[in-house]
Amino acid sequence: MSNLLSVENLTMKFGGLTAIDDLSFDAKNNQITSIIGPNGAGKTTVFNCLTGFYKPTNGQMFLHKEDNKISLRKYTDFKIAYVAKVARTFQNIRLFPAMSVLENLLVAQHNELMVASGYSLFGLLNLKTYRDKEQLAVDKAKYWLDIIGLTHRADDNAGDLPYGDQRKLEIVRAMCIEPRLLCLDEPAAGLNPKESAELNKLLKFIKTEKQTGILLIEHDMSVVMGISDHVVVLNYGKKIFEGTAEQTKNSKEVIEAYLGVDE
Amino acid sequence: MEKKDIIQSFKDSLFTGLIALALFGPIVGLRTVSKGEGLFITPQWGVVFLLVGLCILGRFLININSARRTEFKIFSTLSSKFSSITEDKAKHFAITGILFAVVFPFLPFTDRYFMDVAIMILTYIMLGWGLNIVVGLAGLLDLGYVAFYAVGAYSYALIATTFGWSFWICLPLAGVFAAFFGILLGFPVLRLRGDYLAIVTLGFGEIIRIILINWYEVTNGPDGITGIPRPSFFGLPFKRSPDEGETSFHLFFNLEYSTMHRIIFLYYLILVLALITNYFTLKIRKLPVGRAWEALREDEIACKSLGVNPTNTKLTAFAIGAMFGGFAGSFFATRQAFISPESFTFIESAIIVAIVVLGGMGSQTGVVLASIFLIGITEMFRDLEQFRMIAFGGAMVLIMVFKPKGILANRKPTILMHGDKK
Repeated sequence: MSNLLSVENLTMKFGGLTAIDDLSFDAKNNQITSIIGPNGAGKTTVFNCLTGFYKPTNGQMFLHKEDNKISLRKYTDFKIAYVAKVARTFQNIRLFPAMSVLENLLVAQHNELMVASGYSLFGLLNLKTYRDKEQLAVDKAKYWLDIIGLTHRADDNAGDLPYGDQRKLEIVRAMCIEPRLLCLDEPAAGLNPKESAELNKLLKFIKTEKQTGILLIEHDMSVVMGISDHVVVLNYGKKIFEGTAEQTKNSKEVIEAYLGVDE
Repeated sequence: MEKKDIIQSFKDSLFTGLIALALFGPIVGLRTVSKGEGLFITPQWGVVFLLVGLCILGRFLININSARRTEFKIFSTLSSKFSSITEDKAKHFAITGILFAVVFPFLPFTDRYFMDVAIMILTYIMLGWGLNIVVGLAGLLDLGYVAFYAVGAYSYALIATTFGWSFWICLPLAGVFAAFFGILLGFPVLRLRGDYLAIVTLGFGEIIRIILINWYEVTNGPDGITGIPRPSFFGLPFKRSPDEGETSFHLFFNLEYSTMHRIIFLYYLILVLALITNYFTLKIRKLPVGRAWEALREDEIACKSLGVNPTNTKLTAFAIGAMFGGFAGSFFATRQAFISPESFTFIESAIIVAIVVLGGMGSQTGVVLASIFLIGITEMFRDLEQFRMIAFGGAMVLIMVFKPKGILANRKPTILMHGDKK
């Protein structure tokens, strides 16, 4: 299995606070790599560095593409999603609540549609080339909605969906940009056990069918242990353990980090 | 409705009466009259008690209405009925409205005054539709929209008086200039949102006005620009006695000369310009860039995470919104034949923003209704002179009380997967 992402000596400092300290790890293609750790361990900061929201103080992040590797440091802001094809979801859901479910998925295909609409010119003239492309985009949206079982609600406002469905919608919206790496920030937060199980199924589907690497931050151990191929444990910005889910469960360091040291 | 509620709302309305008394007492109650050599105070307590009584009664009715929201709701049923009519039959409503607007100049009761008011309302509708792109769709609160109106008007006036080009060449040029200024404003405010953005755009509006006042060599300062050419009907001017070698409109069509010809032509001109604005907005809303505007309004961070370029998206919104402001400005200049910085004060921006917000952010029909309501009511009370602003304020209060989200707040998706269910 080839490497998809390598993080090398990543360091992020906010003034005097070191949120991430010399972190290195790899994530592989078609695998789910989980980042776990107690609150404030720096997990979300890692995501914000990877997805261009923060510029890391030090270190490199590479995305491998066949034999090339591209440095994610070069891209900031929207270009991470547009050029490097790294997609993410957020800890607190960030849908476009007043727009319909379908529109949410179409905004995710903005750049292709923008080109197809001739930067709005063809679209204003209502040319067939644009209408065809738009239909393709709708079909893609429908494909994903069928998978998460929300096709019947396509025309409803995203903000009106139940919480669990909003979570799933945010994930498939990220999938609509056809990412190579999908970063999920606590996707199971606030889900009931049934919804968590559905989420597991969805993530496994993305991993196997879509050839997308998944990076996952999660507190819900049933999700982490159920689907992770690889687990990275952070504490105070440092990597304290790395291994399979089974190894992590039995690691002394990890238990200490979560529960404290026996006196 | 419990007794407790009634007592509660009665107490509340008495308190309102107290505030009203404190306000109206000195302002209305003590009237200064100049008699002979000095100023004398004539108290008029009767008026004060009438006003205070009205405030108490009004507040009491509002309280009762909101307490009984579930059982007894005159106002909310009225207003929801009103919005359901216009929502369900939006298309019929629009077609009827346009048809009415087209035949309006030829209706028996239409006189010069009605035409002038109609032209004014249509100008505000066009400005409202233009600003709706920036405020309603892209969610960028722009309090300096009048700046683009001014840029359009001055570009038109300067080009037309300097080069003598026709209206149809100057109009697009004025639009281009205004769009350029839209981008100019857009760049420094890219990172700003909400209140901060509002303050900067407000400043921008004032900067443009102050430049217009002080750049005497070009803009003729506070004296304004006079003698702006009137538009012609495809080369036929509206003149009683045309210059040598020219045919004027009434001669060409063998009509009796009337000043109404030009007014009617101006009316149709602004109607067409406004409808173009509307058509363009409705179209572009369904295109990727329109959806990106709305997505940006909803959540900018999520937009970035999906690869939407926020810079370009915002700048196009500013530029296109400004362009329509510029078109409206050229129309204003050619209609008045005289412009000065006086016409482009902050109150204009405020009125346009009020029209967009009260109409219901992003709703095209809402803008029309709000324009008719606000401008129409203000005009109806023109005889009251300075007190007509009370009518303007009253109209705003009425909308805020009964339709806090704007007259038409419902948003329709730009694309449907299952088709229209209704």
